[in-house]
Amino acid sequence: MVSSHQDTDLCTEPEVLRTNNELGHPLGNGGEEFVDCYSEADISKTLAYAYETNRTVNIISGGTKRGYGGQIEQADILLSLKHYKGIVEHSVGDLTMTVRPGTTIKEITDELSPFGQCLALDPPWPEQATIGGVIAANDSGPKRLLYGSARDFVIGTRIVYADGRIIRTGGKVVKNVAGYDMNKLFIGSMGTLGVISEITLKLRPIPKYEGVSILHFQNGQEMAIRKFAVHLLDSMLEPVCLEVLTPSVAKKMTGKNQYALVIAFEDRERAVREQEKWIQEHIPKEAVLTIFHQHEASEWWGQFYHLGASRCNTTDDVKIQAALKIGSNNLDVLDNLQIACQLADDIGVYVEGHGGVGHGITKIFMEGFPEAFISFVELLRKKVEERHGYVLCTHLPFVLRQKISVWGDKPEHFFLLDGIKQVNDPKRILNRKRYVGGL
Amino acid sequence: MLFGKDRKATKPDAIIQQLMRIVGQKEVLYLQEDLISYECDGYTMSKGMPKAVVFVNNTKQVSDVVKYLNKQGIPYIARGAGTGLSGGATPLGGEVLISLVRMKKMLHLDLENRKAVVEPGYINLKLTQSISDKGYYYAPDPSSQYACTIGGNVAENSGGAHCLKYGVTTNHILGLEVVLPTGEIIELGEDGVPDRPGYDLLGLLTGSEGTLGIVTKITVKVLKNPEAKKTVLAYFDDIADASQAVSEIIAAGIIPAALEMMDQIAIEGVESAAYPVGHPRDIAAFLLIEVDGVAAGIEDQIDEILTVCKDNQVREVKVARDEAERGLWWANRKMGFGAMGAISPDYLVQDGVIPRTRLPEVLTKIAEISKKYDLRIANIFHAGDGNLHPLILFDARIPGQSERASSAGSACLKVCADVGGSITGEHGVGIEKSDEMRFIFHDDEIEAQTKIRAVFNPDDRLNPGKLFPQPGRCVEVKQEMSKEGL
Ligand SMILES: Cc1cc2nc3c(=O)[nH]c(=O)nc-3n(C[C@H](O)[C@H](O)[C@H](O)COP(=O)(O)OP(=O)(O)OC[C@H]3O[C@@H](n4cnc5c(N)ncnc54)[C@H](O)[C@@H]3O)c2cc1C
Repeated sequence: MVSSHQDTDLCTEPEVLRTNNELGHPLGNGGEEFVDCYSEADISKTLAYAYETNRTVNIISGGTKRGYGGQIEQADILLSLKHYKGIVEHSVGDLTMTVRPGTTIKEITDELSPFGQCLALDPPWPEQATIGGVIAANDSGPKRLLYGSARDFVIGTRIVYADGRIIRTGGKVVKNVAGYDMNKLFIGSMGTLGVISEITLKLRPIPKYEGVSILHFQNGQEMAIRKFAVHLLDSMLEPVCLEVLTPSVAKKMTGKNQYALVIAFEDRERAVREQEKWIQEHIPKEAVLTIFHQHEASEWWGQFYHLGASRCNTTDDVKIQAALKIGSNNLDVLDNLQIACQLADDIGVYVEGHGGVGHGITKIFMEGFPEAFISFVELLRKKVEERHGYVLCTHLPFVLRQKISVWGDKPEHFFLLDGIKQVNDPKRILNRKRYVGGL
Repeated sequence: MLFGKDRKATKPDAIIQQLMRIVGQKEVLYLQEDLISYECDGYTMSKGMPKAVVFVNNTKQVSDVVKYLNKQGIPYIARGAGTGLSGGATPLGGEVLISLVRMKKMLHLDLENRKAVVEPGYINLKLTQSISDKGYYYAPDPSSQYACTIGGNVAENSGGAHCLKYGVTTNHILGLEVVLPTGEIIELGEDGVPDRPGYDLLGLLTGSEGTLGIVTKITVKVLKNPEAKKTVLAYFDDIADASQAVSEIIAAGIIPAALEMMDQIAIEGVESAAYPVGHPRDIAAFLLIEVDGVAAGIEDQIDEILTVCKDNQVREVKVARDEAERGLWWANRKMGFGAMGAISPDYLVQDGVIPRTRLPEVLTKIAEISKKYDLRIANIFHAGDGNLHPLILFDARIPGQSERASSAGSACLKVCADVGGSITGEHGVGIEKSDEMRFIFHDDEIEAQTKIRAVFNPDDRLNPGKLFPQPGRCVEVKQEMSKEGL
């Protein structure tokens, strides 16, 4: 399949390659040599060189997901996209934007806000997380309930394939069914199918007004949360999130060590207030309500997006920090959080967690001793899988990734995934063993 | 045509007999006269005779039929309602059509988790109808929704008038059961749980035009009905004003549920068809704008929309008085394509997409194409997301007109591609636009896709010859386009 490279230059070592001094990173996913890419040509040249010379390449950008998957401590080359950043094009009237992968979420937000527009994607650590990384790892936040996740915003990409060729997927228009929807293959594929060198995104207008309503439930009243969430979901309300916080997270965010339900509205002011009125009128007797608006609401979110582990913030040599992502049926989120808290108590680890009862994704952050953590994940996984959910380890030190399965069991259709990997990266040089089943 | 006892004259061959053993004797059509209505789908410019049509009743039968056909080396095509507009379900000749229309049950409904599981032959509109009493609906609403199947919608990644705010089919699919071209049955997005680890095959399969697998079960998202809806109809004397109004509505931070436009020829059509509204015949275009959501937020948006229209020299603008009026406006709009039959013996629907801001310029170019090919072109479009449907009116009985219509259609797509758009927004590539894929993708990019196809469908036995350009023909297209100076 590999097209022959007419340009013999491609086989020579790119000048940008240098020895990596940072060896033995606790999160692994490093490289013997290091290359900082400043252009698509840098990426392409590096990959063409690696491909020809059978060198493996790990890809890094902001580094917030360095602890996410990966069975190889050091590849031959660590390719960084951190400096390949910036806005290529912002078509204001079309509500679309094309960006380079190293652009952080915060930089995108800042660029767009003077135009009254935004990217409705709210992953944690917006100052560090880059759009390339967020898309490659398919990260998302509580507001995906209304706005969707990466697969709903990415309308086109440019991908540098393993052999250095540049392939475009999708396009620049918001509706497009020409050919296969190849965008989807690269979202969440952890850089194992190609390096994303440009991304075209669908934008939204910034909502005119926002409010966050927080309902605190007394301990032992978890059933009341479920009942209220079900009632709300069946009403005319259109919340952007319906996120349940464990008491540990609630304590950090609100000072109250109780389960909380965060309901956010973003709309015209009258619509926000009308919906908040509904909440006030239907508030369960077990609950206490706090509401923030506008500036206060966005500050609240600012704090929220900095929960949990991002880099290797290992506290000391023995205790580790880790993070999990759970996918489940929407309403199982509440049970999964409770199970996690219960297990944490039994086993003796500290956990924080939150999850969306309208979208089925739960995130857990954890601190504790490695052995305890292993049993925590195993037991949690068993419970969650009983109800057709799954558990992934989104942040874990390299040594532990060799003891726990990051991705869980291979899916039955793994042979298709393997076939796709084989097509895009036949020599398996890109982020080798970073993904499900050792892809 | 053969009638009466002559029908029995043709005996089923060994292959047909074996297919009958798998699905039942009455479930296989194989006589010429029975096959005629399966020669094409809603795109009638290309036709081919299938070898047989097999009506399957369950996943196992699909798998057994596929396994058997594989063994025999016979190509096959999944078929839903056959309303496709690009020849996706049209045989090239000799394929077995596997019709999924008998698999039409809803298998599961879970409103608390907002999902439903349906078989592929389930009719799109029926889903909304069957849950509307509980206050829920299924968002993707192609104009053909009274007839098309959800399996077909998945294959085409269909859109509809309301996808500006709510997205297209792919944004509403949570899980699929698929029979692969080997006959193997796989599940993607089991139980509708989002973001399962592994490449997003759910996303890849959706919109793959029935070339990667046959979908036998679909888990879809269902949504709660919005509390309120308001619909505005605005008549413009100048199409540029209407286009400007579209841009300004979006710039005002409004995401209408729908934002549709129709030009004068299209209006002539819909006013001559089943649901005339009484639109003035002399206007250049109308906009049909719908806003929905929490009632308290809607009034303001409607006021802003009215202001934008007035600022842009609207001749008349009105808000639907009641559900009956709103319903009529929509029925009139959704009749759009069919209505062309009232003013022209034949028509060809195109499906280009452009960046919304390029609308005026592209419409001018389409008008030039109309003049050049001497064929009337009506325009109906989802203006909000830049998805154009130029309808090329022609008379197939007049020699040369079909070919001219086809070339004019292709020229319209070239214009869309040249302004940074796409050749199809919702109808798919099929047979019709496979050569035009080269307007937007280069060889390596097409190969990147055909290699993915080979992972699933290595012998191209499932829906062969669709979606991608045939190597020989691309040169002709390029020559044609350069000859035309387009
Ligand atoms: C009047 C009219 C209006 C239309 N309006 C719209 C519109 O507004 N928006 C829009 O997007 N489309 C529209 N369409 C096009 C068409 O209705 C859609 O593409 C629809 O999704 C096709 O569904 P179907 O069941 O008729 O599929 P078919 O035409 O039978 O098949 C379409 C394709 O899907 C494949 N397929 C069918 N079922 C399966 C399955 N179970 N598994 C795998 N592959 C399968 C077929 O092989 C074929 O390639 C319109 C068509 C008409 C005639």
